[in-house]
Amino acid sequence: MRAAHAVPAVVAAALLATSAPAAAIDYPPPGDPGPVVQNPRGKHRTLFVCKRSTKRRRCFRSIQTAVNRARAGDTVKVADGTYNEGVILKGPAKAGLALIGNRKHPRRVLLEGTGLKTSDPHSQNGVQINGASDVTVNGFMAQNFRANGFFAVNVTGYLLTNLVAKRTGAYGIYAFNSIGGTMSRSEAYYNNDAGFYIGQTPKQTRPRRSLVTRVAAWGNVIGFSGTNVKYTTITKSRWFNNGVGIVPNALKTEKFAPPEENVIVDNDIFWNNFNYFPPQPVPFQFKGAATGDVDYPTGVGVLLFGGQRNTIERNRIFGNYAVGVGALEQVLLKFDLATDPRLATRTGATADAFELQANVVRDNAFGAAGADLNGRDLFYDGTGKGNCFAGNTLTAGLNLPVDNSTFAACTTPAAANVPNPAAQATALSWATADPTHEVAWVRHPHKPIAGLTPLEHCVLDAGGGCQGQPQ
Amino acid sequence: MAAAHDETGALGRRDFLGVAGAGLVCTIGGRALEVRTQADAARADVAAAALPKPPGAMSAPPGSLPVDRLTFAAPGPQPGGVAREHWIAARTVRWDPAPSGRDAWMKRRIPGPRSFRAYVYQQYSAGFAAPIGPATMPGPTLEAEVGDTLVVHVRNADERLRQAITLHPHGVRYNPEYDGAYLGDFTRAGGFIAPGEEFTYTWEATPDSVGVWPYHDHGPNHTLNTFRGLFGALIVRPRGAPKPDREYVLYLHSFPPPVTGRARAFQCVNGRTAAGNTPTLTAKVGDEVAIHVIGGDSNHHTFHVHGHRWPDAAGRPVDTPTVGPNEVVTARWREDNPGRWLYHCHVFAHQDAGMAGWYIVDP
Repeated sequence: MRAAHAVPAVVAAALLATSAPAAAIDYPPPGDPGPVVQNPRGKHRTLFVCKRSTKRRRCFRSIQTAVNRARAGDTVKVADGTYNEGVILKGPAKAGLALIGNRKHPRRVLLEGTGLKTSDPHSQNGVQINGASDVTVNGFMAQNFRANGFFAVNVTGYLLTNLVAKRTGAYGIYAFNSIGGTMSRSEAYYNNDAGFYIGQTPKQTRPRRSLVTRVAAWGNVIGFSGTNVKYTTITKSRWFNNGVGIVPNALKTEKFAPPEENVIVDNDIFWNNFNYFPPQPVPFQFKGAATGDVDYPTGVGVLLFGGQRNTIERNRIFGNYAVGVGALEQVLLKFDLATDPRLATRTGATADAFELQANVVRDNAFGAAGADLNGRDLFYDGTGKGNCFAGNTLTAGLNLPVDNSTFAACTTPAAANVPNPAAQATALSWATADPTHEVAWVRHPHKPIAGLTPLEHCVLDAGGGCQGQPQ
Repeated sequence: MAAAHDETGALGRRDFLGVAGAGLVCTIGGRALEVRTQADAARADVAAAALPKPPGAMSAPPGSLPVDRLTFAAPGPQPGGVAREHWIAARTVRWDPAPSGRDAWMKRRIPGPRSFRAYVYQQYSAGFAAPIGPATMPGPTLEAEVGDTLVVHVRNADERLRQAITLHPHGVRYNPEYDGAYLGDFTRAGGFIAPGEEFTYTWEATPDSVGVWPYHDHGPNHTLNTFRGLFGALIVRPRGAPKPDREYVLYLHSFPPPVTGRARAFQCVNGRTAAGNTPTLTAKVGDEVAIHVIGGDSNHHTFHVHGHRWPDAAGRPVDTPTVGPNEVVTARWREDNPGRWLYHCHVFAHQDAGMAGWYIVDP
């Protein structure tokens, strides 16, 4: 695929590397998530799942069995224990269903994927919600699933809360081709792609906003990734010790490019310097990208890889060795749209989906007041239009480009964006021409944070995690 | 209730006059409803919740005109202006119009139960990440200067009433896309924000927008929901004009029995009733003071501030101007008279029922 493009192969590899969806996984086909629906009305039942029934309460032994019996709007309560199964909720007959584990101690209700047969569709995801809108999943841990921990697809509305997703083949907590929903109070770590992912959001005139709040992602290839993600607010969360912190991105591999109207506000985004590349050991099965030849950039806090009308505001961004916030046009998609006249129609992309437009980076605090510097605070290749920077507290003393010529102020009329091909080439080379994956790094000492240890190179412990990190 | 309608579903004249005195008249989905009690309000809510999403003017419903199919782009600020962005969620809250439980002017207890379900516009931080402060009535005051645009993201965050709302402004310039009004089959996107949805309005502050204006719900159940509290104000100033030292927006309005479930209406200023609950305004001698008063229900009110006079639009001194539904009057003066003063509506039935408050001027 890369050979077909006029852009250099190394550039294409870098572009493909950023947050490509794990297409090799056997996902259900995307459908139309449909209109907003009313919650199921009427009398609802509560079904119980536990490892052993008692005289006082009989219960199902498997969660899937209870879910199969449940009707729209019912509640399935699951007792503490380890359940060696993945759960599938499929179709409108399961709309509004609430799957409740242990809200205070989600690790006590463990969905374990180890040992499930590859041919078993239940081995793919801890919980998969397909076409059942407004489902709640609350109080579970999922680990060792081949695809994802918790996965909602083709739905209008979901609540995924008090969850832990560990060591999956792709994403920890994931929503695809869906309209509106909340991911909250959850943790994702040691996932082979992103800890949290929202992708292929359908275009909406009156959007239902998605909310990612009070979550933590660490030890993943990417903390949050969103291919063509839209109308999503990411807030009050911690993104640290990943290869990259947060990456909204435009790709042709999913519909409805570009990513639009996302707000990244009031987060802590730090220490995203996890170099997980071989030959170094990693706490998950490193598969590379489904598109092949993956070279994810490391050391990056936030990267806008394409994107329009996104806002990055009032975040605390520090200790990322390459750059705190970067913005790069989607060069490969630009080429594809120019050379494939049917691509836009086929994927629902806009004609300018590759372009950075009207993105705002403002009022962020970089470098922890000088106590934990980023290698660079800002990178912007200067492409697109209406992108601006205002009110940021910069401390690194270094940006890309070094002359700061691309960082247009937020004024009316909007200051022109001026492309800087050299800056773009430099940024791309970080990801493509560096077998160490650290050439872009400008190391600085970190300020201590209670309970946390920086993760740059993993030394495996007896449990398969990285030494010094939580289990 | 059926007796109140003629064969067309409209209220008869006698019925209308009766309802007008005691309750509300709501027309929802082409059906006129008299709303005298909370049960009536619940029926109105059910009717509003059952309304289907309008097909959109672009679908060319019967009776549509070419203008209905015009498309409009979002305007940008004029040179030197800025886009002022707000994130406002509409949500219902439990609301006590007299948190102190007392009328500090009349020295009387205000017996309970007083709380009921109100509807508010609440300011949020970018992306609706978190509320900025508690719910208030009126909603956030939106300020702009000539040449600016107001970019207002409105989210219908209510999960109880399950009906569409909007935010419709007065005073500023907007194209039909950003009118924020439900127009039946001719409704555009911003005229029907269903539960869970959001819409971004863009309005222009033009030279003839200078002043103070109301905004309010103009969705399919606008009368009832405006009476519940879906209202606010916007202020447009000339570019570079200074703000007064003390500036207040006071909505004079009432919560009628269909909203509260009580036998009598609460007469209110900014969602509260009786001095000690209503806003206590403050100033110092020498301050320039501006009080913008908006009529927020179906009645006319007369706004009186003890110890003060100010010029009306014609330059004539007044101290009790009249303000009608969704009209605005501004009382403005340089403060020179310290003391504890009353402000109140001078419609006696309103002032004695709580439409009053304190104005404290320090020397």
